Amino acid sequence: MPAPRKKQAPQRKTPNSAQESRRFWLTYPPKLIQSPVIWELAQKFEVVSNIRQASVSDVLGILCLELEGRRSVIKKAVRWLEKQGVSVEPVEINVIES
Amino acid sequence: MQATNGFMKALKCRECGREYPLTATHVCEFDFGPLEVVYDYATIKKSLTREAIQRREQTMWRYRELLPVAKEPTVGFQVGYTPLVRADRLAERLGVRELWIKNDTVNYPTLSFKDRVVSVALSRARELGFTTVACASTGNLANSVAANAAAAGLRAYVFIPADLEQGKIVNSLIYGAQVIGIKGHYDEVNRLCAEIAGKYGWAFVNVNMRPYYAEGSKSMGFEIAEQLGWKLPDHTVIPMASGSLLTKIHKSYQEFIKLGLVSSADYKVHGAQATGCNPISSAQKAGLDFFKPVKPNTIAKSLAIGTPADGFYALKVMRETGGAAEDVTDAEIRDGIKLLAETEGIFAETAGGVTAAVAKKLIASGKIPAKDSVVLCITGNGLKTLDAVVGHTGVPREIRPSLREFEALLTVDDIAPVNA
Repeated sequence: MPAPRKKQAPQRKTPNSAQESRRFWLTYPPKLIQSPVIWELAQKFEVVSNIRQASVSDVLGILCLELEGRRSVIKKAVRWLEKQGVSVEPVEINVIES
Repeated sequence: MQATNGFMKALKCRECGREYPLTATHVCEFDFGPLEVVYDYATIKKSLTREAIQRREQTMWRYRELLPVAKEPTVGFQVGYTPLVRADRLAERLGVRELWIKNDTVNYPTLSFKDRVVSVALSRARELGFTTVACASTGNLANSVAANAAAAGLRAYVFIPADLEQGKIVNSLIYGAQVIGIKGHYDEVNRLCAEIAGKYGWAFVNVNMRPYYAEGSKSMGFEIAEQLGWKLPDHTVIPMASGSLLTKIHKSYQEFIKLGLVSSADYKVHGAQATGCNPISSAQKAGLDFFKPVKPNTIAKSLAIGTPADGFYALKVMRETGGAAEDVTDAEIRDGIKLLAETEGIFAETAGGVTAAVAKKLIASGKIPAKDSVVLCITGNGLKTLDAVVGHTGVPREIRPSLREFEALLTVDDIAPVNA
């Protein structure tokens, strides 16, 4: 995993029309449980993250997260999480049914 | 019935217990837990008796006090009350005393149990003032939303993965629904659908209407109990996709016990999955109370949900009732479909094959004892998943238009020709 760039953590902004709030369930595989993924996310992207629920065992990490930021940035942040090996579901989990 | 909310009291978070008004919302704002409808059982008990139910039409709405509509339903009047078939031939093959099939392959109008949940969701959507309904689906749900919306005069948007098979698309397009194919990976499509559901003021049946929608599944359990003569089966085997159906059948049994409509009984609820998508059954077998997401790879497409939203709650129900979970391979699923068809004349979709094959395993392993009674929940029609069995059913034997050739064929079957 590349070292994070040094920069100041983003300041929390008052939501405006360009800001959106999205809610996700994140599932971590065991190899990522000890990695500071959310810290790194905040370093790399202009998003405000708010953890609502978390459950971590030695076989799985589950996190319920609210992300606030510009839509395009949230989308990039989600793609980055997936690239790290984190599964990202909407808060509804499986919207597509049979 | 009460003027405003019928017999419903509130929406309640399944995690923290916070209550919310009965609007089109589905997630607790505090911990993002799922919301569920709670009812005024004390009032319901005064009017919902066996006699009152038996006087009503034979549809799922005969239990309307326990379904989340404030007034009379307006969508799907004919849904439900499907046959509960005594399956003695299948029971003999599987080695169990008493076996029943709850046959939703003939549910009205789109031949799957989804008509139950959709008619509830659309009736409630109308009460809440919606005129456009939507869903994201790869099959049965899309068909049901499209058909029931058409019959009710509601505008329907159906979101599907763009690479879905033509046959499944036609089954929604025929009803005049707006069908939108979304290109991309499953996870991206899933997230976009959630985003669309949040952005537009529509009744998205399995998103903002989910607390109401999911309650429709209870009707299957109510019917099983009534059709068995107001008693609960020792065992119920239920296919698991999201796990919602299993939790709701358990809830229906609990509600009937609470209202005194059936006696309290030790019943077990068992879950069935395909081995190619078994997050819940593998967790149950490993004794875990959480599941690990999987990438589905099975012919049982209607159960192919790798991250089941109600998986945690389904595990809890199986644990509480002493039930078990099992999963079966694609070959076993096909054998299950054939077994149901050959013994009981019921052609089920792949999910039905999963349920039958899992029941066979549970009986063989003694988790369902031979002396007990069992109900199998068969949720969809085989005509919807013909591709899964094509090439696995044998082929017709062909002859020329010759009686001699026909009689030669009968000889192979060990049937003597009829003498003139």
